[in-house]
Amino acid sequence: MNELNETAVIWGAECRRTLRSARVLALLGLYCLFALLVFVMAAAVRSFAQQLIQSGMLVSNEEMPVSVLGVFYLSLFFLPIYVALMGFDQVSGEVGPRSIRYLTVRARRSSVLLGKFLAQTTVLLGLVFLLDLGLCVYAWVTTPGFGIAAFGFNVLRFWMASTVFSLAFLALTSLCSSVTPSSAVSLILNFSVLLVSFLLWTTALLDPGHPLRYVRYLSPLRYSLKLIHLEPLAVAGGVAAYVVFTLLFLGGAFFVLRERDL
Amino acid sequence: MSELAIEIVELTRRFGPKVAVDGVSLSINRGEVYGLIGPNGAGKTTTFSMMCGYLRPTRGTVRVMGVNPFVDGALKGKMGVLPQDAMLPGGWKVGPLLTYWARLSGLDKPEQEARGSLERVGLMEAWGVETHALSHGMAKRAALAQALMGRPPLVLLDEPTAGLDPRIANQVRQVIRDMRDQHTTVVVSSHNLQELEQLCDAAAILDRGKLAQAGTMAELTGQSAEFRVQVARGTVIVPELESLPGVTSARMEGETLLHVRFDGQAHKPEEVISRVVGHLLQTGVLILGVSRGRRLEERVLQLT
Repeated sequence: MNELNETAVIWGAECRRTLRSARVLALLGLYCLFALLVFVMAAAVRSFAQQLIQSGMLVSNEEMPVSVLGVFYLSLFFLPIYVALMGFDQVSGEVGPRSIRYLTVRARRSSVLLGKFLAQTTVLLGLVFLLDLGLCVYAWVTTPGFGIAAFGFNVLRFWMASTVFSLAFLALTSLCSSVTPSSAVSLILNFSVLLVSFLLWTTALLDPGHPLRYVRYLSPLRYSLKLIHLEPLAVAGGVAAYVVFTLLFLGGAFFVLRERDL
Repeated sequence: MSELAIEIVELTRRFGPKVAVDGVSLSINRGEVYGLIGPNGAGKTTTFSMMCGYLRPTRGTVRVMGVNPFVDGALKGKMGVLPQDAMLPGGWKVGPLLTYWARLSGLDKPEQEARGSLERVGLMEAWGVETHALSHGMAKRAALAQALMGRPPLVLLDEPTAGLDPRIANQVRQVIRDMRDQHTTVVVSSHNLQELEQLCDAAAILDRGKLAQAGTMAELTGQSAEFRVQVARGTVIVPELESLPGVTSARMEGETLLHVRFDGQAHKPEEVISRVVGHLLQTGVLILGVSRGRRLEERVLQLT
């Protein structure tokens, strides 16, 4: 059996296991609640969204209600937490109790990692699609002139943006999970890295001449706003940044898992 | 193809300042049932883990079925493993889990393989049971079943009977005997030395990470070099026994046990034993029994 087949077998098995687990349902509920909360807040305080647009943190879009865009952006920032909670134990959860030993005698470590990564990705993208679909349905119902073409385009655009963004954080979670010896440590590391990433991003608030301001480019959160930008070049730049982050994190996870003791 | 199933050369593994395995060299022939023996902390499980590619050695080399176990995927299809303290993953029922693993191993009929191996360990009733709901003994047997799937040419069993009740332990020993009959190479570690003495063709005794002794079971127990005679009555004249052909030494251990060493290379054990027993009977000594070699347990206690 070659590596692709191994990966496919693990992918299928892990998808079934993930979908059966209560955690995914709980997280889905939490995610929807969060989105709803943001939506209510954004609808109630429209000026907040306007402020975001004026400060450049939110890209205005004439077709799309600002509240929908706000929910989308803020839910995007909830995604890394969601991804961490869903996948922090994908590898470490099998290293701690050593159940991974049953896998590595019958499959390559790289297949184990990739199969689990793809399973997490599949489940997450399904959930994110449902949320993005819900947002666009709301926009369709409430926004005059938001036709079927705009609906289809925006569902696809939101979903693609979420996908590209999520992949980097899924890979980061895989890396954290591969480095650590147990689930608890993996969760702590994952949240620590997310916090550091957030702090790096906030260096954008420093004075324009401040040398530390450049470290914001190291934050994977930094490029999220570009993903549904109106300028195609900006979108391409954002996508490229997330592809690089994904490859870096996933490559790191491959290297660590290949070299580490199990 | 190499005749060796496993070849270990100067294997060393450190955990920080602690040396868990220290310069161990071993050769395990194909088709052999080989025991890894030693007290707790002797380095058995660490050695096992390096054979399976779970742990990387600090120094030295390991070859398993002709391949380097640290090459990703190199052991696939070559080996079945029962790791000592690996838990079965949660969120699975036993049957589907084994079927998944059989599929991952590339076996032709995964479900049939899973059912067959569960039958071999007497655990078919656990097919639909969640892994977290298994008792210790059932989990152990389920783990053993996964090691047997696909009938790999090499099976590594770390403490396969630990914590099992006597009936199930006996069933597991029978599975190992069956594998020996099918010329499967089996490496087994256990604290149950009587069990290993019965099952193994050869063994290595480890102590504090070092190899204390390795050899065939006959060599380890001295079956071809010594025997004991239980004396019921009469006076044993030791110097006369020592003058018999092949006998290298004789001495009384207590009042009723005669310990005889002989040159097993130049003389057949049955000839020397018959000669000594014949002499004892001629000199009026009545005997209760003769036992060849010594118990493996005695040997291990002597070495560790």
